Amino acid sequence: MKRFLIPIVVLLVAGAAVAVYFLTRPAPVTEVVVWSWDVAATGLQQQVASFEADPANANIKIRVEDLGNQQVYDQGIAGCVAGGAGMPDVYSVENNEAEVFWARFPECFADLAPLGAAALRADFPEFKWAELTVGDRIHAIPWDSGPVVYFYRRDMFEQASVDPAQIATWGDLITAGNLVKTEVGTNVRMGTINKGGDDEWFRMLANQADCFYFDDAGREVTVNQGGCVIALQTIKSLWDAQVLAPGDWTGQIQLIKNDAVAGALFGAWYAGTLQNEAPEQSGQWGVIRVPSLTQGGVRAANLGGSALAIPASSEKKEAAFAFIRHALATTPGQIRMLECCGLVPSYLPATRAPEASAPVAYFGGQPIWELVLSTLGDVPPVRGSQHFQVAREIMVAIVSDYLDGNFESAQQALNEAATRISAATTLPVAMDLPAGDDSGDAESGENSRN
Amino acid sequence: MTPIRAPAAGWNRWLALVPYGFLAPFLLGFAAFWVWPILYSLYLSFADWTGGVTTWVGTRNYERLVTDPIFRQALRNTLLILGLQVPLMITLALLLALALNSTMLRLRALYRFGFFAPLVVGTVSYAAIFRLIFNDQFGILNAGLRVAGLDPVAWLFTPGPAQAVIIIGLTWRWTGYNAIILLAGLQTISRDLYEASAIDGATGWRQTWHITLPLLRPAILFCVVLSVIGTMQLFTEPAILTAGGPANATLTLGLYLYRRAFQSADFGYASAIAYAVALITIVFSLIQFRLFQGARN
Amino acid sequence: MARQRLVQGFLLHLALTAGVALFTLPLLWMVIAATLPDSELFAYPPRIVPGEWFGRNLEALQRTVGFSRVLLNSVSIAVIYTAASVFLCTMGGYAFAKYRFRGREVLFLGIVATLTIPTYVTLLPQFILITRLGLIDTYWAVVLPTVANALGIFLMRQNMHVVPDDLIESARIDGAGEFQIFWSVALPILRPALAALGIILFLFQWNDYLWPLIVLRSQEAFTVPVALGRLVGLTRVAYGGIMVGTVIATAPFLIVFLFLQRYFVAGITGGAVKQ
Repeated sequence: MKRFLIPIVVLLVAGAAVAVYFLTRPAPVTEVVVWSWDVAATGLQQQVASFEADPANANIKIRVEDLGNQQVYDQGIAGCVAGGAGMPDVYSVENNEAEVFWARFPECFADLAPLGAAALRADFPEFKWAELTVGDRIHAIPWDSGPVVYFYRRDMFEQASVDPAQIATWGDLITAGNLVKTEVGTNVRMGTINKGGDDEWFRMLANQADCFYFDDAGREVTVNQGGCVIALQTIKSLWDAQVLAPGDWTGQIQLIKNDAVAGALFGAWYAGTLQNEAPEQSGQWGVIRVPSLTQGGVRAANLGGSALAIPASSEKKEAAFAFIRHALATTPGQIRMLECCGLVPSYLPATRAPEASAPVAYFGGQPIWELVLSTLGDVPPVRGSQHFQVAREIMVAIVSDYLDGNFESAQQALNEAATRISAATTLPVAMDLPAGDDSGDAESGENSRN
Repeated sequence: MTPIRAPAAGWNRWLALVPYGFLAPFLLGFAAFWVWPILYSLYLSFADWTGGVTTWVGTRNYERLVTDPIFRQALRNTLLILGLQVPLMITLALLLALALNSTMLRLRALYRFGFFAPLVVGTVSYAAIFRLIFNDQFGILNAGLRVAGLDPVAWLFTPGPAQAVIIIGLTWRWTGYNAIILLAGLQTISRDLYEASAIDGATGWRQTWHITLPLLRPAILFCVVLSVIGTMQLFTEPAILTAGGPANATLTLGLYLYRRAFQSADFGYASAIAYAVALITIVFSLIQFRLFQGARN
Repeated sequence: MARQRLVQGFLLHLALTAGVALFTLPLLWMVIAATLPDSELFAYPPRIVPGEWFGRNLEALQRTVGFSRVLLNSVSIAVIYTAASVFLCTMGGYAFAKYRFRGREVLFLGIVATLTIPTYVTLLPQFILITRLGLIDTYWAVVLPTVANALGIFLMRQNMHVVPDDLIESARIDGAGEFQIFWSVALPILRPALAALGIILFLFQWNDYLWPLIVLRSQEAFTVPVALGRLVGLTRVAYGGIMVGTVIATAPFLIVFLFLQRYFVAGITGGAVKQ
């Protein structure tokens, strides 16, 4: 018996140790990986603490990775090609670019309807769902929208005796621009346009006029129709009046910091960028609705806006959806992201929250979000379709050429754009319109909205 | 060829198999990663690729390619850059090689180092530094222009200057490389030829024209062919320096292919683009070889 | 006449010195930019005196892309690739040069002909193949596709003439096995050519951007060009970080090149000039 004493003791101790180890080991942690970019990533990061604190989400850890906008997209494409390998659990996608994924990789992202998305349908405006759903399949949950507003420098407007409340049309802005040039400085402009680099101005103004590259079904090319023509003409008149400065994203920030521009036209999310990049100008900015193209016309548009999707390859779909719901489909979540990062909610209950009308110090105490959210209902819905990138590449060149004076009229320029987009995407042009000249027919523009 | 004194027939047979043994690893890798992709890419160019499913669509991709305005633009841009940059660079490289070969030169290794150094820097890095140098507001180039009393140029915002920046960048990077190839060629030309012609009264430039250049032709051809192939596929510089802009002025075939493949995930069409570029490149190469053959006589 | 030569010599050196200055100016600017914070890079008038931000830029670089890991990746990949590729190509070149077998010329021509085909033709299928093999985000994804390259085998065949046939023959008579001959007889003689090819391939792999960009996913796997490329965003270019990364990644090569110029040159010109 004594011979076995030591081995038995060793076994008992070992057994006890193993038992203790298994009994006291913390439960396995589910890590949900989220891909996003810049301000958006910051916004999601703000949601993590409250999510993890909720006992219902015990053992779920959220890891937000800020890869940068382009990177997230590129790696999403590559990941889908690889059948989902290397994809995160929550994927940020811009509304404009989302359709490429649904069209070319129909199985890459999970259908969120059975996970609980179907119940959220009514809580978001329909124009957000258009680019995120295919039939009954819900590919992504709407996150923020990009209602376009015009940011302006209060101090410069005061110096030039420009009353922002009097600016109703783009023509009014040109007048104001001339005043600013006289009173503040001949080099000071009213906005920055990324001529040759992007066509944001065109997209914003065309959206105002209820026109876009393609029709609402994404089947025909409509870029040469009335509203788009007026939009392009307006941009040209702004350019010719020397009221716009050329510059890309970084260039625009430099111009702002150097007091070389008195305003900026962008989605409301640019408020976050302004606060980050030019904190020293706090209190000197204000916001007005985007000037209309025609007297009494629409003063609302949308630029950008994102959504969150779950790759089909994720093994933590429930946990991922729980986080998405926490961040996007709760009023506190959306308000938090609004306050920290200027991400405008599209969650309808959140737009009615009292915090949305709080004054914002950076904008001189103006309750800008109230103004911004009030435009949401007026935004004409438009569609980019999976050919968004191709159409944009073409439009960037057309806008730049037109501003350089290489076309006789906006209609001619857009006819050319329509032809090129049609050739590059094999989609037909909806209407063939005569070239005409730039005598600007406001009436026909209003009537040809479809 | 090694004459083989084989003691037996079996030895002969074994020896015949040996080269295949040496080649096997190479051929395996080559077949898997070059031959198969080349063939599969050809197949893809006649198909539509969606979500991993390939469907044969005949010549639809090529028909689209022919009318695609962006492809035409990319082709124009690439040919423009090619047409300007390659002759410029080869000429500079030739002059440089002649200079480096000169008997009057001291510190040859130092000069060679200076001109070759750009090659060691990665493409991403040098594209970034050029972007900085040519920045229209804060770049040192425009600063220099202002100091000299000239107007600054909006380098990256105007189509022509943007293309010029790409050309300047490529020339900066590759001149040294080509110069070294040409220099090696120069050094194999026997001095006797020069001495003989000097006796006949030929000097300096005449010697260069009638002796050096003709004998250097194979090396020049090599450089030109390599440069053309490389420029046809140009990707990194337009991607990092100009993002294909402004207004697609520096959109090259390589960048366009990347976009259609990895932004629009349109693999069938992208393969058609790749083959179209391949075809054009091969035609160019053949033309160059032909010119070389012709001039030889 | 002597005076003319003196003047010519002076002009020659002047021109060359100006040329070298022009060519190395961007590199100098790169080094200076590595020592400045981003805000000063965009200052006007531009600073041309080195600053003290090298350490801080390096720290930021390490923080944003994990540069030490990235450097390790680049070195490992380049070393593995170079060793494997040189080995494969040398064996292949040896076979083509020292043996006679059926289809030798046709096969060689076929391999070399692929040099005229742009690499983009193979990009997508290689990508699909790599993903199917489950090698995405690994070193092998970067190493395998170009390990058997036509240029290498072409150059190696060109260089095989330095190994005398008689030497091979006498080794055979002495009873050495074929591979033994290759390893013990041919390789030592080929050392300069091996070094030359090795340098070319190493440099190529070190600076390759497009392919690693496509197959490397996670930051821990990035190579230097991919990591630096990530710093060139649409909205923001982290110049300081890129320049620091470049200086660190390039300096070793410049030093090596200074001492090993002969091999670089030999490698480039290996098959270029046939007289």
